[in-house]
Amino acid sequence: MVEKTVDYLIEAKGISKIFGGTRVLDHVSITLRPGEIHSLCGENGAGKSTLIKVLSGAYKPEEGVVAIGGKEYPHLTPLIAKKKGIEVIHQEIILVPQLTVAENIYTDVPYRTAGFFSMKKTCEAAKKLMDEIGIQLDPYETVERLSTADQQFVKILKALAPNPKVLIMDEPTAMFNMKDTDMVLDLVKNISKKGIGIIYISHHLKEVAKIADTVSVLRDGKLISTYHARDGAVDMDQVTCDMVGRPVDMFYKREKSNTGDVLFEVKGLQLKESDTPVDLYLKKGEILGLTGMVGSGRTEIIRAIYGLDQRFAGEIRKDGQTLQIHNPHDSIQNGIGYVSEDRQKSGLVLPLSVLSNLTFLKLPLKKGLISTKQEMDISEDMIKKLDIKTPSMFKETGMLSGGNQQKVIIGKWLHKGFDILILDEPTKGIDVNAKFEIYKLLHDLTKQGKSLLVVSSDMPEVISLCDRVMVVRDGKIAGEFTGGEITEENVIKSALEVK
Amino acid sequence: MKEKTLRTRAKIGNEMIFLPVVIIALCVISGLINPRFFTIANFLTIFQQVAVLGILTSAMLMLLVMGAIDLSYGALIGLCSVILCNLISVQGVDPWLALLIMFGTALGAGALNGLIITKFKCEPLIVTIGTSYIYLGFAQVISQGTYQSIGGAFPFIGTGKLGLIPMPMIVLVIVLLLMFVFLRYTPFGRKLHIIGGNSEVAFLSGIPVKAYKLLAFVLGGGICGLAAFVLTSRIGSALPTNGSGYELNALAAAIIGGASFSGARGTVLGAFFGVLLLGIVNNALNILGVDAFYQTVVLGVIIVIAVIFSNIKSK
Repeated sequence: MVEKTVDYLIEAKGISKIFGGTRVLDHVSITLRPGEIHSLCGENGAGKSTLIKVLSGAYKPEEGVVAIGGKEYPHLTPLIAKKKGIEVIHQEIILVPQLTVAENIYTDVPYRTAGFFSMKKTCEAAKKLMDEIGIQLDPYETVERLSTADQQFVKILKALAPNPKVLIMDEPTAMFNMKDTDMVLDLVKNISKKGIGIIYISHHLKEVAKIADTVSVLRDGKLISTYHARDGAVDMDQVTCDMVGRPVDMFYKREKSNTGDVLFEVKGLQLKESDTPVDLYLKKGEILGLTGMVGSGRTEIIRAIYGLDQRFAGEIRKDGQTLQIHNPHDSIQNGIGYVSEDRQKSGLVLPLSVLSNLTFLKLPLKKGLISTKQEMDISEDMIKKLDIKTPSMFKETGMLSGGNQQKVIIGKWLHKGFDILILDEPTKGIDVNAKFEIYKLLHDLTKQGKSLLVVSSDMPEVISLCDRVMVVRDGKIAGEFTGGEITEENVIKSALEVK
Repeated sequence: MKEKTLRTRAKIGNEMIFLPVVIIALCVISGLINPRFFTIANFLTIFQQVAVLGILTSAMLMLLVMGAIDLSYGALIGLCSVILCNLISVQGVDPWLALLIMFGTALGAGALNGLIITKFKCEPLIVTIGTSYIYLGFAQVISQGTYQSIGGAFPFIGTGKLGLIPMPMIVLVIVLLLMFVFLRYTPFGRKLHIIGGNSEVAFLSGIPVKAYKLLAFVLGGGICGLAAFVLTSRIGSALPTNGSGYELNALAAAIIGGASFSGARGTVLGAFFGVLLLGIVNNALNILGVDAFYQTVVLGVIIVIAVIFSNIKSK
């Protein structure tokens, strides 16, 4: 069958976008038909976001044109795109937390009584919209009282409210745990069945494999390949290969290190009196993974260990000695470091330089004053050792990429010195290549006899990185696996309580 | 080469390129219109006039770096002034003891601000607006609305000279140098940057955030006391409103010099340039004979323009 242009809801025709001499997009063409789920894959910086911005009229391309419903729009603006039925769901939360679900969905106040906003009509409309696609939320609830997952649903509803023809979703499952992820995927399928075309961006190739009709891979601003599910199942290894530009295994391979004696023990940890006590131990040179569903209590456990939250009971021992840990200061004194989940919010001091971020935990002093020269030596050394890519050690850390930011944080602890490092989601939002660099770095640390406690939801990461995995469910240890037992099946079963 | 540029910029900030240019331009224009501007005596006058503001700005800068602010400084200067003069000339207390009590008050007021802010996790902006009324009120109670003289005590600090150099200028330079070393080369100063840049990171890194904040507020109060001392000694008498407006000028000077409400940014050199800019504008307008009421307008315009430009520059 010969496809006519008119069949496409939206079409990018040879789009090029240039920023300051760099071609961020290079003659990229993609199409989208009604009811199609078209997945865009690519590493961070491959040009996915730029392409979306061109399609939605936020950026004007230097070359090429966007056609909507067969008509070319050389001067597309966000307003025109919206009018023509193109809706984008961005990753960032764009909701007003103090307003109700319904008010957030209908921000342009279409439902009124005598010209004034009608809460009743708005909520009724919201309820109707939710029923159509099978979401159950109370339209009268204020958004700030919803879980992060439910807030994501509100964002999707908000995008559906103006009856779009094209829905662009940027990492819609980033905020969800595994169970809810399936709900989102079902939802996406339901939406596409209504004839809405969907451009779906996700780092999670498994999701892509489940729902995409078409998969397009971008790399360095070029369209590398497009696969159609109707031609047979899309080979995700091939997609990964296209993304990275060289054959890679989706799993990082490491030689398991030799672990030593038990270094660190947590006994009978209870956050509240009603909690089941949690026990765990960590050997010298070992990477222990702590996994489970989002909200299963993993983060709470490590926060309590590090002394961030009060604990009701529990003993923390290192080298057989009981430690008195009441706050982060105590932990650091005892050789425990902590790399939090959110690099930007609680990992780095963004307005300060790479140098300042690396050295402040242990400032080199000379006669009681900071020695700038030694600071520079330390930074230079660390930047080399960890291969931190920064134009200068004086660059603000806010300007670095996610992977390099994470390296700065690990470098900070390396400079301070530690025996045990607790890392919460160490590679969240970091692209594949940088991920592997971080894994290698962590692995090298264990060779030096450091012990790592890694909280992670990333299954390939847990399986390939850890010597031992503990699965947390409802604040309890639901399973423990070593070596060959660490399989996706085992871990997920124990995380979900599947018999 | 590039490394060096970045390093220099990281060290001194973008404002350092823009502000001196503006200051020199202002001087040249003023000097061309009225040659009297370009005399050593006039420059010394400028320094004498900005000394109190400069001392206070160093305290404000320290708090801004830490991500905080203290708007009670103006009122606190008034209170310190009134206490010093009242004790000496009305109560007949030994001047040195009076001075000690005054500094005690200043440190105590800083501690009170810091305690409320750290204990109850309140916004420094609102808390210090509130306490500023308390300090101003006490100053009014003590002075009963009358001028009180310092009784001739400590004339040297405000009006004395070391050779050609006026004492206030010497005090200013010492305070700025100490603050420079403090913010750049002491662990405490560096940690204030960390707290200001991201207090969550500071806490996770084992920095006793509350204690550091409290100490910074106490230190700020002490510096404010010093500013009050220099001011009172220079004018020789006290009114509760002696310091009114100083807190906002200090804030403006620090911000013009590159500090930011969001913390971690700002340098002593930048703040000094900010102070100098305000001082020179004031002086130039006087020398050029601009009507006093218009002077206020022009000063406002210059502050706004300076902030806009230093913002553009730093992007």
